[in-house]
Amino acid sequence: MTDRGSRIVLPAGVKPSGIWTPAQRFALLASRVWAWLFLALMVLFFVVTVPLVSGGAVHFLTIRNSQNILVAIIPVLLLGLGQTFVIIGAGIDLSVGWVMSLASVLSALALRWAFDGGVPLFPSVLVGLIAGVGGAAVVGFINGVIIAKLKVPAFIVTLGTSFIVRGVAYLMSENTTVIGLPPGIRAYGNDALLYFIRGEGGGFYFLKRPDVSGELLRRMDTILPYPVIVTACVVACAIFLLRKTQFGRHTYAIGGSMEAAVRTGIPVDRHIIKLYILSASTAGMAGFLSTLRFTAGSAVIGDPLLLSSIAAVIIGGVSLFGGAGTVIGTVIGALIIAVLTTGLVMLNVEAFFQFIVVGTVVIVAVLIDQSRDLIAGRHRRRAET
Amino acid sequence: MLRKHALFAVAGAMALAIASHGAHAAAKIKIGFLPGVVDPFYQVMQIGVEAAAKDLGVDVVTQVPPTWGVDIQTPILDSMVARGDLDYIVTAPTDKDQMVGPLKAAVDAGIKVITVDTFLGDGDYVNGPVKFPISYIGSDNIEGGRISARGLAKAIGGKGTVYINSTNPNVSSVEGREKGFKEVMEKEFPNIKVLGPDYNLDDPNKATQQTAAVLERDPGLGGVFGTNVFSAQGAGAAVVNAGLGGHVQVVAYDATKLAIELLNKGVVTLVLAQKPYDMGYMAVQFAVADAAGVTSLPRRVETGFAIIDKENVKDPTIARFIYQVPGK
Repeated sequence: MTDRGSRIVLPAGVKPSGIWTPAQRFALLASRVWAWLFLALMVLFFVVTVPLVSGGAVHFLTIRNSQNILVAIIPVLLLGLGQTFVIIGAGIDLSVGWVMSLASVLSALALRWAFDGGVPLFPSVLVGLIAGVGGAAVVGFINGVIIAKLKVPAFIVTLGTSFIVRGVAYLMSENTTVIGLPPGIRAYGNDALLYFIRGEGGGFYFLKRPDVSGELLRRMDTILPYPVIVTACVVACAIFLLRKTQFGRHTYAIGGSMEAAVRTGIPVDRHIIKLYILSASTAGMAGFLSTLRFTAGSAVIGDPLLLSSIAAVIIGGVSLFGGAGTVIGTVIGALIIAVLTTGLVMLNVEAFFQFIVVGTVVIVAVLIDQSRDLIAGRHRRRAET
Repeated sequence: MLRKHALFAVAGAMALAIASHGAHAAAKIKIGFLPGVVDPFYQVMQIGVEAAAKDLGVDVVTQVPPTWGVDIQTPILDSMVARGDLDYIVTAPTDKDQMVGPLKAAVDAGIKVITVDTFLGDGDYVNGPVKFPISYIGSDNIEGGRISARGLAKAIGGKGTVYINSTNPNVSSVEGREKGFKEVMEKEFPNIKVLGPDYNLDDPNKATQQTAAVLERDPGLGGVFGTNVFSAQGAGAAVVNAGLGGHVQVVAYDATKLAIELLNKGVVTLVLAQKPYDMGYMAVQFAVADAAGVTSLPRRVETGFAIIDKENVKDPTIARFIYQVPGK
């Protein structure tokens, strides 16, 4: 049990290296770092090809583009973060896309209600945050209770709630985009820690968007937008939670073997409920941030993102059978998808190739995950159905 | 000093080279084309964009979002902006409010924006809340809705129940069609009851299901208004599946080949063709004109409609408005 969990978390340290031949050790190392390598190779590929194709006019690794990629991964990553815990715990949460939509609508409605009621901007934004993440957490709680207590398969439960949530989101938004939010929230969703104006008359500006226009505005790069910082904090918390806490150890244990977890006295039901609350909450965060970014709530915003987020989790090395995976892996998975989208646009290749590459990478990821066990002489536990 | 002269000489030679390249092309501009989603309407628009680019000697970079939605369109837009070599972006915003911020960011980065088919804010770039786009080039969708309403009302004899199937909420184009349609039904045909709209999220299968459900629920349904390609396609399919072809009248916004096929079969009564080719072509013309210093470009251009029915569908002056991609 601990072995399954630590296999990924601290693989080199736990196993005495003498057990495996050098070839096996190399193969295991390769299987652990391949996603990093793939990401690095992809970046390198775009760094070389983008200027070539555009005749030197376009470059891939610019400040603007790096920030674009960081912003672009936010929704997929946040949906994937909670999902990482759920899948490590041998579950699945298919409701996250629509939970994100619901949270977007809820936070927009609450924020508008508070602000129109005379609450100042910042507390209104907090009201929006609480409504969005809180509303999402309620859905997660319901998912968790039905899965843990009534023993309905997670696949079915979360599929069901995703439809319910979708209906609720549409109804609450009255079937349209929730607008009329205070214009000031644009700053929360789009402003940044740092601004840099290149060249003459430029320089660094901290925390305050420089009031420039024309040529200076054109040369301005926005570095570390607030949503990126918020997301980075959530990622840091998730890493800590999974690696350093009892919560994390229990998650690996339950995913590794439910029976063993029960026998060791882990409160499995309660833990599963917490996992689904966590998953819904990160989706809620994604919805809240999208409301700030687009200054409106939308009941359709999360719909196209579910499958990408699951792909990111799988590419990141989380085993669909449970018991193995890391948060950083999911970050890499989300980065691979975002870099691909951005790079293909810059190459002016049709965006549809993205699907083909992502699909291939997903399958490769699973093959590598399986072959790792084969190399290590282990037998893959079949999915318990 | 010498180097400076050499630089001037090089610059002069380059200027000459560019000037001799094309009479108008003081500097060759590059245009990004970012439509809303993959569909025949935008494919025809792309043909217009590319034809104008060829005629006027400008470069075009096209990216088509695989799915309709602000969180799909925005990353693609951001990447196009990050290229750093585009002067103009011709786009169909996927939400009239949510896309304001991302497109404003493009403008801040020095790219001028022309919206086609759908607009930002209320579409009035002179007095409305959003003023930064150069122009909106598209259909007067409210008028299109009115035309559709009158066509459908006539086909069902001025009384009964009709149903609207639409794509997405808060998209300026289809919203206008619904509005115009409802307005005419309310004012001119008080004996017609309007159901819907239901939103199919650009999924014809969903449109089929939704229409089929309404047909079940309301067996007396006299007509359906499909507000775009996907809606009309789905609505038509549902009517055929129910064996009601010819009994339930369908008005289809967008002249896809399928819509025309259904028209020929008698399932669809009226097809309203927009002019996506014109929208695409003119948007590029506008960009070139703006780059050349033209300052009196209209901020709103309505490209009009061709109304296609069984009588005129073979007429080449009308048939040319059917959305056709060569070779497909």
